[in-house]
Amino acid sequence: MLRKIAFNLFAWSIVLMVAFPLFWMLVTSVKPQFELFRRPPTILPETWTFEHYWKLLSDTNFLGYFWNSVILSTTTTIVVVAIATVGAYSLVRFRYKGRESLAFLVLFTYLLPSVVLILPLYLMLVQLGLSNTITSLVIAYTTFALPYALWLLRSFMAGIPEDLESAALVDGASRLGAFWDIILPQLLPGIISTALFTFILSWNEYLYALVLVNSDDARPLTTGVMNMLISSFNIEWSLLMAASVMMSVPLIIVFAFLQSYLTRGFGAGGVKG
Amino acid sequence: MADVVLSNVHKKFGTFTAVEDLNLDIQQGEFISLLGPSGCGKTTTLRMLAGLEFPTSGEIRIGDRVVNDVPPGDRDIAMVFQSYALYPHMSVGQNIAYPLKKRRVPKTERAGMVAKTAEMLQLTPLLHRKPKELSGGQQQRVALGRALVRDPKVFLLDEPLSNLDAKLRGYMRAELIELHQRLGRTMVYVTHDQLEAMTMSDRIAVMEGGKLQQFAPPQEVYRAPANRFVASFIGTPGMNIVDGSLHEDAGRWTFTAPGFSVDAGQLGPDARPGPAAMGIRPEGLTIGSGPIQGITQLVEQTGHENITVVRLEDGLRMTGRTAPDRLWRTGEPVQLSIDARQAHFFAEGPTGKRLNRDVCTMDAPGSNGTSLKEATS
Repeated sequence: MLRKIAFNLFAWSIVLMVAFPLFWMLVTSVKPQFELFRRPPTILPETWTFEHYWKLLSDTNFLGYFWNSVILSTTTTIVVVAIATVGAYSLVRFRYKGRESLAFLVLFTYLLPSVVLILPLYLMLVQLGLSNTITSLVIAYTTFALPYALWLLRSFMAGIPEDLESAALVDGASRLGAFWDIILPQLLPGIISTALFTFILSWNEYLYALVLVNSDDARPLTTGVMNMLISSFNIEWSLLMAASVMMSVPLIIVFAFLQSYLTRGFGAGGVKG
Repeated sequence: MADVVLSNVHKKFGTFTAVEDLNLDIQQGEFISLLGPSGCGKTTTLRMLAGLEFPTSGEIRIGDRVVNDVPPGDRDIAMVFQSYALYPHMSVGQNIAYPLKKRRVPKTERAGMVAKTAEMLQLTPLLHRKPKELSGGQQQRVALGRALVRDPKVFLLDEPLSNLDAKLRGYMRAELIELHQRLGRTMVYVTHDQLEAMTMSDRIAVMEGGKLQQFAPPQEVYRAPANRFVASFIGTPGMNIVDGSLHEDAGRWTFTAPGFSVDAGQLGPDARPGPAAMGIRPEGLTIGSGPIQGITQLVEQTGHENITVVRLEDGLRMTGRTAPDRLWRTGEPVQLSIDARQAHFFAEGPTGKRLNRDVCTMDAPGSNGTSLKEATS
């Protein structure tokens, strides 16, 4: 009993430590400017205000960046999931020379630090005439999201018994038909968790966005907000916090709905879905 | 007319030969078992019939069509998988309807066919359930239903009963036999369980190491096994097989093993003097009297008989059946005799050919078996 209480206390103190910055972010975003730097600080704001949110939406390019991020993350997710699904199908179902080595080579690219890849990638994208576009970021994010997505989906795919597909073929389905009718529905938890992973990754990515995109038309939220609110002389804390809250909201919503799939995804490989 | 014909079928996976030079003629309406230990090529053979594997060489005919390049869905076959392979996200009704849907049977017609099949298999109250809400036996019946619903020419069954408990298995065995009689369709049944093969089949194809060892009615496989492998694989408890040598003296053969010898009488033209093996089923041994000395090593009481294992002088073990009223104690000395008329003689080696002259040492296996044999040759 005592152990249980001690354990709970320990767990909750860690949760509080992790949650506090988030709480502070939320609180700061609704404090009026004059209350921000008061000492001692107020835990809950004395006056609540949404002026920072309003200012962000009306006076800045926040919505533009937000839209860029939505397009960027959605496109990346669709591209990655589509390629990873058929790739995983190929790696699991077909027998060909170099199948295993191919899978490991793919993983190998994931092991390289992204800083190493960023310059070559930048040069290639410039040569392709894609620099400063959302497309360039989609390509860049795909290169590092795909290997992990492929391996994640591969373990899900391996958990689908081959007999199911054989049965569908005997029942008169074409290979594509069997894939569509049988494999895809079975793979859905894997696809959702892969999509979630990719979406979060591209939504939060900063480094590539910083290096590859230098125009406001294509900037996603991460670099856009930083660029807009942090200058060498001043940091607009309350705006920054309001922006951070709004950046987190889509993820929190998606997470709340699909969280069970994500944890299932991280457990995949050991047990079948 | 032969319904399913495999001619000189080979299947290789890389350098591994899974099926070698397989020839099978399956008659319309026959129930055929492919029997053998795991890895003998029986499932590969079935999957080639289904179109899920393609033969490396040779020809497969179903009906009057060569189907080597025909995809599974166009072969007019249905298959029941060992794992049942029910589509987990579909209800029982949707599972059974799937093959009809893929064949573009109109929706109204579909519903009627599904209802009819479900009724036949007593699945009607379960039509809206998902497969995972069913018991093993029910899942098995759904798998059967999915195969039955479109009335295919040939049924392929891959160890369909192996995941059921013993009691249910016995029940489903009877159900399958009845189903086969009612439908009159050709069925090819893969199993490693000789009891299933013996009780259900018109003919059994015994396979080992990718090769067909014997293709004959159950009684013939039991009474006149084509070679040593078939002899040792069929029957529980298994046939006693003793290594020794054959000698000929003026047309009469004698088999000599360490400790005893048996008068083999006349053997077939393939018999050669030298190393050979003798096989004798437990019922061919008489325990309690005879010229051979041994010691009782193990007695298993099954109720209606005792299975008695006797160790001979040089360590050889022989298994016999004895009446339940005479129970030997372990370690008790016993005498033993071998009924030479029931003995089989085999050439050397694990698949050494049977050397007996006649097809059968006991009564004929039944006219049915003989006529089938003539029809296929």
